[in-house]
Amino acid sequence: MFRLRLAPLCAAVVLAIGFVLLRVVYRVVFGGAGAGAGPLLLDLPRLRLDGPFSHITLFGPITLLGLGNAALSALPVAAVIVFFGLLNAVVNVQALFARGAGRGPLRAISRSLVIAWATFPALLESVRRVRVARALRAERSIASLLVPIFEQTIERALALAASMETRGFAAVRAVPGICETPVLMADAGLHFGADWHLDELNVTLKPGTLTVIVGATGSGKTSLLHSMSGLFQHFYDGTQHGRIDIAGADRALTPPRDTAGFVGLVAQNVRLGFAAETVHDEIGFALTVRNVAPTIVHARVFEVAARLQIVHLVDRSIDQLSAGEASLVAIAAALVNSPILLLVDEPLADLDTAARDRVCTVLGQLAHEAGVCVVIAEHNTKEFVSIADAWLQIRGSRLHQLAPEDDHSTPQPDVDNAIPARKLLAGAPALSLASIRGLSVSHAADRVVNDVSIEVLAGDLIALRGSNGAGKSSLLRAIALPTAADTVIVAGRDVHAYRRRARRQAVALVPENIDDLLFATTVAEECRRADRGLPRFTRTAPATTQRPVNTAALFAHLLGFETVTDAAHLLPRHPRDLSAGERLCLVLAIQLAVRPALLLVDEPTRGLDLAARALVRAALLTAAGHSSAVLFATHDDDFARGLATRTLRMQAGRLSEPIEVLA
Amino acid sequence: MTEMSTNARETNRDNAHNVHSAPGSVGDRPRQRADQARQRRSIRWPSWILGGGSVLAAAAFAWPFFVSAVPADAQVAVPIVAFALIPALIVALALTLDREMYTAKTVALLGVLSAVGAAVRIAGAGVGGVEAVFVLLILAGRVYGARFAFLLGLLTIAVSSVLWGGFGPWTPFQMFACGWVGAGAGLLPRSHNAPSHSATTRRWRARSEIALLAVYGVVASYLFGLLMNLWFWPFAVGSGTDISYQAAADPGQNFASFALYSLVTSTLTWDTVRAITTMVGIALVGPAVLAALRRARLSPRR
Repeated sequence: MFRLRLAPLCAAVVLAIGFVLLRVVYRVVFGGAGAGAGPLLLDLPRLRLDGPFSHITLFGPITLLGLGNAALSALPVAAVIVFFGLLNAVVNVQALFARGAGRGPLRAISRSLVIAWATFPALLESVRRVRVARALRAERSIASLLVPIFEQTIERALALAASMETRGFAAVRAVPGICETPVLMADAGLHFGADWHLDELNVTLKPGTLTVIVGATGSGKTSLLHSMSGLFQHFYDGTQHGRIDIAGADRALTPPRDTAGFVGLVAQNVRLGFAAETVHDEIGFALTVRNVAPTIVHARVFEVAARLQIVHLVDRSIDQLSAGEASLVAIAAALVNSPILLLVDEPLADLDTAARDRVCTVLGQLAHEAGVCVVIAEHNTKEFVSIADAWLQIRGSRLHQLAPEDDHSTPQPDVDNAIPARKLLAGAPALSLASIRGLSVSHAADRVVNDVSIEVLAGDLIALRGSNGAGKSSLLRAIALPTAADTVIVAGRDVHAYRRRARRQAVALVPENIDDLLFATTVAEECRRADRGLPRFTRTAPATTQRPVNTAALFAHLLGFETVTDAAHLLPRHPRDLSAGERLCLVLAIQLAVRPALLLVDEPTRGLDLAARALVRAALLTAAGHSSAVLFATHDDDFARGLATRTLRMQAGRLSEPIEVLA
Repeated sequence: MTEMSTNARETNRDNAHNVHSAPGSVGDRPRQRADQARQRRSIRWPSWILGGGSVLAAAAFAWPFFVSAVPADAQVAVPIVAFALIPALIVALALTLDREMYTAKTVALLGVLSAVGAAVRIAGAGVGGVEAVFVLLILAGRVYGARFAFLLGLLTIAVSSVLWGGFGPWTPFQMFACGWVGAGAGLLPRSHNAPSHSATTRRWRARSEIALLAVYGVVASYLFGLLMNLWFWPFAVGSGTDISYQAAADPGQNFASFALYSLVTSTLTWDTVRAITTMVGIALVGPAVLAALRRARLSPRR
């Protein structure tokens, strides 16, 4: 509640002095400084105004007493200013509001304020990331900075709202849950917008089972999951037909907040849904909003944390968690009410192998030891083979139930290995294209990239592998935007010496957060913006090249369309309404349109299904030609194996098998 | 407390009937929502409290011009009453709006947007007078309606003041003025014609909307400056100068003094810079930000 911070007090004192001086100036200018006897300091000529201002005279004589009077008259207000500065320095208003966030008549506003403070670190991070993205796209407009940040902020608000809603925020009645039938769908149908629907849903799920929903990107795994959480019907404006009962509660009539006592949800991007500032408050959130006594919340938080073996994290701040830890904290937060039904949306997308195993084990134990009905939407199906009891597959607008012994995962035509990459490029002469020499990156005290040297040949498709935090992303960013001279040489020239736009022709990076690069309201406008940045010779390229010359054509080409007109239906759409695969193709098109010699791609297959992966694979193959190469970082074994001409491994900022740089 | 839960239960029942709509989502069409609200509640207390509170607050801002209407004995007390009235009104209106805003989506949007507003305000503080925060307030007011934007104005000032350590007697006045800027944008007229599928009509409509908001931004910037001056003028200048507030003088003379003070101190400088910033800001990022705000109440990403 109280603390001492001197800065506000100093600011207030400066402000108060300024105020006093200002009043003296007013008196001098508007003829009030001549009062009293005192010695005359200066006799300025009087200047009488006319019109409506006839009662005003400017300047006039100035006496010492007049000035003193002016300063004296300002002292009471100055004192008030200093007093408030003192209050600011001593009272921690932030803590005051945090207290009111749980209960009381101003709980909505107080909770908003807590969220606002929790948003600042995310906002700073967002600014940092978008500035990098802007440099990567060689954009300098204000919109390219503000729009992505704003979009991310809105996205965060919605994710946060969804997570608060499912944890019982603003609930007014608690619906009792029946353990025997966690999920019952009878002749149910789900409709969203004009183009997505799922019909004839007949599903019954039992307690103590683990079910995995599989299906292509955009097939509606998340929507099906949220038809159980209630967000589909009550938060995202989807329409439900037929009957969906969740632990006895009619989903069409019961909003998520009222079932928070027995339905737990772990969202896709768990970090966006964190509503508190510490891990302890985050896990206890669902209890706090129900006005449970703090001591009980505290005990329950530790009970859940002990079950997931994350007691050591409880006192940490929410932004000091690794990806795997954040997932476990989100699971703990969903478990705090001892749910009958636990819904988990793509828990493995961001995780490395070790963290994946950990999360899978925890989910398996919850189902088979604690008797929770666990439902997971995921396309990394391999990890769940040993623990899943049932599989639900979305194909078209129908849901198919697969028995455990069936071929559970999506049919695996071996797309990744269909065309061996090496053969395609067999004829290419092995010219040296780029060399990275002794590149290092430091964040604060840590060396995240330590003296990395790579030699890239023309036609190379290099996979960069390594666990979370090994420094892959930092390395790619440092190659694209080198901060020191002579560390990245492409086609014989130092990338550091290039100017903004020319640099993209040497090295272009598609970062992990591709949305950072998008800032227009339609795909067509986005492509036009990208074309404007193209060097003139590409725009008027001779017909000898096979490649499309503008961004829109390249985008259509990457999606497998013959001409732009075939992709015309996508052009008026908002870029953020495209599917994950389409968005990646758009960003690839923007970055490939300048025809960079070296293309860097960070996690190109994250969240993509087989069809979209095939598109990306084809795009990368085209990008590695006779005078160009691709370097991509990935967690995806199959993708890397099927595509890469070589694989580099990174560990703790170093290449585990350093490669000799040729002269 | 009982009244509050009754109110909430009522809202809840209403949502239960209407599965298609997102409960508590902040509406794009405040008028339609207001119509619905009118049907379900015979007396709309919050609106009356809001309107009445705003009128009282306006009176407290403009006390120098009303003071001669007050009995002579009470005139000394007027500035002090005005000073105390504004914070009290802030609390009263916040209490009124709080129960209306108690849904997850509104609270989250309010929190996150006020953080953005505060960040913009603090980042812009170095460049004197460039109050880019108006851009956000006006656009949010347009999309989410007057009440949301009023609260957003309040909270933005609160958050930035706390962060920067600048809580002072001026804060409640700034809160009100910013709240009004947002609420005014929420009350601007909008076209009620059937949605058009013609691309040119849509583009024309989008452009005229941006133009309307930009013009409003200019007007609001100057009005904001005048309002803040009105409150600060008697204190800043003090007594004893020719442009001082004089309780005994007739309102015309006081008004002329105020006009000169305003012109010299802010209208020609800060307010003009602010008006230009707001206009340019709305023109530059307006379409994209409006789209983002409107998409917020739409689809999940599948």
